[in-house]
Amino acid sequence: MAPSRGISPLPRALHCTLTNHKGPVLVARYAKGSAKYVLTGGQDRTVRLWNPDVGTEIKVFAGHGYEVLSITVAHDNVKFASSGGDRSVFVWDVATGTTSRRLPGHMGKIHVVEFNEDATVVASGSYDSTVRLWDLRAQSRQPIQTLDEARDAVQTLFVGGTYIMTGSVDGHVRTYDLRKGELRADFLGHPVTSILPTKDSQTVLAATLDSRVRLLDLTSGKPLNEFQSHSNTSYRCRACFGAAEASVVCGDENGQVWAWDLVDATPLSPNPPPIVHQKVITWVEHHPNDVGEMITASADSSVKVWRGTSPIAV
Amino acid sequence: MTARLKKKLGEMGIDPSSSKANESFCLIGTPLPPLEKSKDTGEFVPLWKQDVRDEKGRRRLHGAFTGGFSAGYFNTVGSKEGWTPQTFVSSRSDRAKQKAARPEDFMDEEDLAELKDSQKLVDTTEEMDLIGGTQSEMRKRGEPERDSIVSALEDSLLPAPKDSVGARILKKMGWRIGNGIGPKVTWEQRKRQDALSSSAPSADDEVPESHDEEAAKHMYPPRDSKVPSFSRKDNPHGLGYVPGMGLTDLVAGKSKDGGNTTGPNLSAGFGLGALNDAEEDDLDVYDSGFNKSSTRLAFDDADEEERIVMGSRNKQSPTKKIQKPGVQPSFQTFQDGRAVLPGFVLSDRPVVEDKWYPLPEVPKGWSPDPRRVWEKDKENIVTSGQPPAVPPITSDHASWKRGITADQRGSILGETPLPAAPKSVFDYLAPKDRERLQSMASGQPLETPVLPPAPTLSMARVEPQIAKAALNGFQPFTADPVKQTRYTAYLQSQVDMEDVPIKPTVGQSMDEFHKELSDYAKAAQIFKPVSGTMAGRFTSAAIVEQVGNAQEGLHKPKPAVKQQLDEQPAKEEKQESAKEHAARLGMFGPLTREIKPWQPAKLLCKRFGVKDPNPELLLAEASTSQSTPTAAAIAWKPEDALANADLATAAGSSKAGGGVAPSSRTGGRRDLSNVGLGDDETQGADTLTYERPAKDIFKAIFASDDEESDDEAEKQDKKMSASPAPVSKEPEKPVAFPPQSVTAAHSIPSTSYGPQNGERSAVGVDLSSFKPTFVPRADREKRPKSDGKERSGKKEKKRKSGKTALVSFDVEEDGGEAVQPKKKKQKQHHGEDDDGLWVEKPPPEIVKKLDPNVHLPTEQVMETDVDEKLAGPQRGRKRAVDFM
Repeated sequence: MAPSRGISPLPRALHCTLTNHKGPVLVARYAKGSAKYVLTGGQDRTVRLWNPDVGTEIKVFAGHGYEVLSITVAHDNVKFASSGGDRSVFVWDVATGTTSRRLPGHMGKIHVVEFNEDATVVASGSYDSTVRLWDLRAQSRQPIQTLDEARDAVQTLFVGGTYIMTGSVDGHVRTYDLRKGELRADFLGHPVTSILPTKDSQTVLAATLDSRVRLLDLTSGKPLNEFQSHSNTSYRCRACFGAAEASVVCGDENGQVWAWDLVDATPLSPNPPPIVHQKVITWVEHHPNDVGEMITASADSSVKVWRGTSPIAV
Repeated sequence: MTARLKKKLGEMGIDPSSSKANESFCLIGTPLPPLEKSKDTGEFVPLWKQDVRDEKGRRRLHGAFTGGFSAGYFNTVGSKEGWTPQTFVSSRSDRAKQKAARPEDFMDEEDLAELKDSQKLVDTTEEMDLIGGTQSEMRKRGEPERDSIVSALEDSLLPAPKDSVGARILKKMGWRIGNGIGPKVTWEQRKRQDALSSSAPSADDEVPESHDEEAAKHMYPPRDSKVPSFSRKDNPHGLGYVPGMGLTDLVAGKSKDGGNTTGPNLSAGFGLGALNDAEEDDLDVYDSGFNKSSTRLAFDDADEEERIVMGSRNKQSPTKKIQKPGVQPSFQTFQDGRAVLPGFVLSDRPVVEDKWYPLPEVPKGWSPDPRRVWEKDKENIVTSGQPPAVPPITSDHASWKRGITADQRGSILGETPLPAAPKSVFDYLAPKDRERLQSMASGQPLETPVLPPAPTLSMARVEPQIAKAALNGFQPFTADPVKQTRYTAYLQSQVDMEDVPIKPTVGQSMDEFHKELSDYAKAAQIFKPVSGTMAGRFTSAAIVEQVGNAQEGLHKPKPAVKQQLDEQPAKEEKQESAKEHAARLGMFGPLTREIKPWQPAKLLCKRFGVKDPNPELLLAEASTSQSTPTAAAIAWKPEDALANADLATAAGSSKAGGGVAPSSRTGGRRDLSNVGLGDDETQGADTLTYERPAKDIFKAIFASDDEESDDEAEKQDKKMSASPAPVSKEPEKPVAFPPQSVTAAHSIPSTSYGPQNGERSAVGVDLSSFKPTFVPRADREKRPKSDGKERSGKKEKKRKSGKTALVSFDVEEDGGEAVQPKKKKQKQHHGEDDDGLWVEKPPPEIVKKLDPNVHLPTEQVMETDVDEKLAGPQRGRKRAVDFM
């Protein structure tokens, strides 16, 4: 979607609600590829696979003994990995619904887990303040490498093509550049709960617990924009980019979904947005391809699929 | 057969003598059992036909020789598969149906039968069923199992009646419940008994008072003897003392000669015989009851209570309740859930009764004024006039209880102390010795026993080095900052060998303080980091557990706590704060950015498809720091690790011998005596650092002569060109070129080449002075060439032999006439043994002639210059030795 056409409005019309989770839903991810499916994980220790188009649950992946805090889907949609309170990364086979590997080693709950681009390595960031990089090719039980630079729990991480980016409660966004062999740590001063780089890997969107979402320039570490007026002080509320990375979307603790213009950082209308969830919105994710689709997961145990009022109008 | 019948048969055409005609259809008597069936059990069966069967006819023994007992296959399980684990069935929904598992549930019929037999022996004497409806009876009748609630109810309503054998015998002898034991007595006797037991005839006595003369006609069972009841002694009175009874009462009670309450009471007490007179001889000494209401009968014939009753019918008695089975459930449990023993009941009163006295009523308008009391005391002291000789006895209970010693009393009374025996060893000593001892004692600081707090502080000591290590190690009290500071202060003091600087906190008793200190000492012992070799393998965890109640949402550490946790030097802290400051001001960018080198793991680079950014960093990191486990794991080198371990052990266990050993070992020669031993530090090191020798060495050793090619020759040329002498390009040339002068100068010591031109073949090889030499193949190639055409025939031979043996020696081809046959044979034998092993080379004449020439360039170059190609053969020689 070319930005020249202007910012497409945030999909605000409720398409369907996915309600089978029994407790707070902590993560909701689109599948890769055409992203026809949604995987959600929550406090009820299950990972559920949905068809957001019709709003039906396809499969339940039960195996976690504790809450599911993070999910990542492999590039080929054959497997996905999830992690949570039980201190090991579970790698699931989507078709059979069984765990193909369990990677224990962390000392605390694992907040985030991410595949790399071809799902040969899975990175997991944990409450024990380390990021462990696991090799999925070999059958080794030891991680390839442990990144223990963080001084506090690692809340979020992103694995790019040649870099690994972590966000930690100690207020740092750390970029491990594999090509340069360099670690760049940017201090934000507040616990970082979500990071998401843009597709060009030049900037990164970082949400912190001071109710701010910042767009940082990765080359210099300078903030390009600061998005505020939502409230996010104690929960992980993931921020993401809207359609074509022209806007920034973030749920907040009041159940509102905020959207800002990426360039001038003004909240998009409606301002203030309506309250769409009873409790804190833990995760927002925009559809990777479709302009007019977005999912929000909330602690009120529901996942909502939003579509544009006139999806093809743009 | 009658004649008539015969005739009739004849008419019918049947031969009367035939068997058909004689057939009989009558059976007379009982037929014998058929022979097959009549096999009696006692019949002899050969051993191999016998088999063992149990009472149900199942075969018990199976197996190859019929003696095999395959338990678990046929006998116990009854299935080929044996026990298969059952699938789990949740019993969550039917918990109520579940009973506690009894042993009988797990028994098979044989066990049950056994159990029944054993129960017959034991239980029949124990149980008697008056109403015939006990649980065991029910069970025997095969009544279906009832659920727990029903059985509990039944138990409580109808407890299993039991009667002892004695009671049963007595009953058979005519004894009735409620009567005493013994022959029947007359009315008079019984009345006397009543009088003796001081119990008035009870109201429910079946014999009325009025019919005395009628009553006298009958005989009566004697009164039942009473069960003594012992009441708990919960007062501070003396034994046997009845509160409120004075001495006069006691005397009066005695004079009344029984019949009143005191007499039997006394006799029921202790010290009975000596104090009481013989007038109460016939009194039941155990009879303590006074009236009917308080009599305790072993068996009470109250009509509504048919069952055995222990205890009295006294209304106040706590044991009353068990008499009513409906009231008291039969299953009582203690507070901790254990069941009360059968036959016992829980008292509803606690063992120790707390007595609460009501507070005295404070008059209205009263306000506490201690000064008044003090004034009063002062008045007392003043009014007493003289100072009391004795300190006023304190109201302290403990001191009162202790009383005063005889000496104290004596001193109070002003007695002169008696000349007592000397109590101390010092009293026996001569005054001189005593003085000397005292002077010696005074020379030493003997205050410690005098000062009470001093030894208590010294008990929680920690060795300085441990304290120092613990200071650097894990900090256990981070959750409690105050405690942590106290802990570090304590450790610091222990490091400096000072006194403990911390004082007890407010409201902390000395004992608690000491306990705290000893806790610290223990913690220091536990949390000191691992020393020595292990130290480098662990890093302390970065995570710090925060004790405290969980809060909702993400955890955000307070800056104060963070500062405390971070044990970073002040400078870094300052930098951190600058960073924080910049972040607070929103001045993100260079101020808040830190760039450090970071080494991704090699495998990670591979997985990401990225080239390793700085591969040389691996080595540098490995050599400089072993601190990061990942870096160490990436480039772990055994030599480094060993060296480090050596250093660590040497440093850790600062032993005298420890430091010497590693250096001597690493520097020491390897020989057969120490290779492969456990303490060989360098073992395996050469395997790991082994580098493949140049290819031409392998060629030199293993390649056959056929493969000798032009490039080989070219190499040879190059080799030669390295030598100072000018060399032509032709391969023949270097062979022809003999720099004799250099040879003379060199004079290889290993070979005893005396005459360079001599016909050594005739002389043969001197065994004593003979030394083997290894000839590089390249040299050998030249040799035959140097001989030119005359050698061509032999060259063919050599090629053939070169094919057979990988390491070929000139001896075999041309030593025929040169070397003694004996020696040759020996060598051949060796060659057969192990080709690779054999490096000995006899110097036949041609070789001798050539060898110096050939050796010369290599040796020379080795000394002067390190050429790779020339080093090849040299290394090849080394390798040959190594192959041994």
